Amino acid sequence: MKEVLTVFRAVLVRQLTLYRRYLFNTLSGLVTMYIVFMLLMTGARAIGGTTFMNGDAPLQSLVVGYLVWVFAMVGYQELAWGITNEAQMGTLEKLYLTPIGFSWVQGLLQLSLLIMQLGLTGTLLMFIMLTTGVRLQVDLVSVLPIILVTILAAYGLGFLMAGLGLVYKRVQSAFQILQFSLIGFLAAPASWGRFLPLNLGNRMLASVMVDGNRLWQLPAADWAALVFVNVTYLALGFVAFRFFEGKARELGLLGHY
Amino acid sequence: MHVALRVTDLTKTFGRGKKYEVQAVRGVSFGVKNGEIVGLLGPNGAGKTTTIKCILGLMLPTRGQIEVMGYDFHRQYRQLVRSTSAVLEGSRNLYWRLSPRENLDFFTGLHGIPLALSRPYSEHLLRVFGLEVKKDAVVQELSSGMKQKVAVACALALRTPVVFLDEPTLGLDVETSYELRDILKRLAREEGRTLVMSSHDMDVIQDVCERVIIIKDGSIIVDDRVDNLLEVFRTRSYRFTLSNGPGLDWHFDLGKKFPGLTVIPQGESMILEVTLPRPSDLYAFMDALRDQGLIVEGIHQEEPDLEKAFLYLVRKGA
Ligand SMILES: Nc1ncnc2c1ncn2[C@@H]1O[C@H](COP(=O)(O)OP(=O)(O)O)[C@@H](O)[C@H]1O
Ligand SMILES: [Mg+2]
Repeated sequence: MKEVLTVFRAVLVRQLTLYRRYLFNTLSGLVTMYIVFMLLMTGARAIGGTTFMNGDAPLQSLVVGYLVWVFAMVGYQELAWGITNEAQMGTLEKLYLTPIGFSWVQGLLQLSLLIMQLGLTGTLLMFIMLTTGVRLQVDLVSVLPIILVTILAAYGLGFLMAGLGLVYKRVQSAFQILQFSLIGFLAAPASWGRFLPLNLGNRMLASVMVDGNRLWQLPAADWAALVFVNVTYLALGFVAFRFFEGKARELGLLGHY
Repeated sequence: MHVALRVTDLTKTFGRGKKYEVQAVRGVSFGVKNGEIVGLLGPNGAGKTTTIKCILGLMLPTRGQIEVMGYDFHRQYRQLVRSTSAVLEGSRNLYWRLSPRENLDFFTGLHGIPLALSRPYSEHLLRVFGLEVKKDAVVQELSSGMKQKVAVACALALRTPVVFLDEPTLGLDVETSYELRDILKRLAREEGRTLVMSSHDMDVIQDVCERVIIIKDGSIIVDDRVDNLLEVFRTRSYRFTLSNGPGLDWHFDLGKKFPGLTVIPQGESMILEVTLPRPSDLYAFMDALRDQGLIVEGIHQEEPDLEKAFLYLVRKGA
């Protein structure tokens, strides 16, 4: 346990140092996210007309959907790109040579990134709410659990792509495509879409943030489905990653060959 | 415990099928005693990196047993990793956007060593490596020699009993290379650590290591103490001064019969350097010279160096 904390501290400090040292990048990332949302909103208004006026539910849902997408995308990217980058830079092997094991290192790294992402995305949300006049219920007790479970699927996809990227270098060019297909998952109709990543979580989050429901007021069946679907995606992605990692070991690809 | 590392019948084959198969390591076996400094010497592509990465589990061995500090590769991999550290890709093993000190803190933390325990020794290493003035600059801004030193320091900072260094002096200028070797020698001796170091440069191995394992095409061709090897070659290396040669029309294949033969024309005369393993070879060589009408003026037994021994052994293996 003590070892886990020491490793967690190490990865957290590394990430904080990088965020601070490259503060400009951190902030410009945030600004980009903000601008993308404003464009999205303008587009939605142009298409949807008055239904997307301030305070209307569709606009609020748009904000919630955007939040879910940002969280998912960041998680997905940090895994898929993060692992690929470390392989290319030559540091990945060092992460494997740890007594605690690579899976733990990666898990703790993602956790530290998530903590920082909560802060950053929280700031983004605040700006969006302030400048657009959209009001959302930010009941953290209800919001956080839904977000945390929902992005597990994104981690699953991240693991899958990272694994593929280790063995098949060319897959890396497909990373971006999947990133945007996440939007498709969000937009799918509830009937079958709930079995896709992000979809059900997005709906539940909207129910909390737009309609003001509390955690325990959501249907138990939804909760069960949410946990089951997302844990399954994570598990599948992780198993796939371990498979490709074994392949990479066999082929000697963890370095840069 | 006397044995730091035991490798038995290590084999690594990349690819499948006759056409694509690369036998990078072929049934390599060796042991390393606690506190020993061993060099893996071999030309590029000999299988040094593959051997080291297989021992560390970064590549999956096709066959063979590995034990580090008594820990079995398959059954006790975690403990095996805990007792080793490594420099694998030189400065590429670092985070270039972090400073030397931040890298040291990160990698020791990753190994489960709390800052309070790692810091004093990390500071010591920064001093020893002459990195103190640069300890807070980002690695990206350091010279390549300094980057390399930081990479080595990050491996040593874990204070593991066994340290692997894959081509630690690759790409360094001569001065930095010497400096790094001196530090390695000193630290290894002061702290009694086991060092396994690979290089394609015999000079580096002769300088740092007590024992050398020469690898060629994935197989060990020599495993001996460096001074033994030099001793053996001392009695086998000859330098012939001829009073004729360049003018004569000689086109014999002495080189094939006597591997490692070097011909140095010197105006009217000629110098031949050659390694003759058996006493009878000396006579055979003299006969061959006489057959060609070459006149021997003098014979010297040469001061050998590992480079000659290495070239001789590698060519003979061909
Ligand atoms: N990942 C790999 N896939 C296929 N062949 C490889 C791989 N890594 C090394 N090899 C081959 O294995 C042999 C040994 O390589 P290596 O261990 O890197 O040699 P060294 O480190 O002694 O220069 C070479 O022929 C090399 O081309
Ligand atoms: Mg190599």
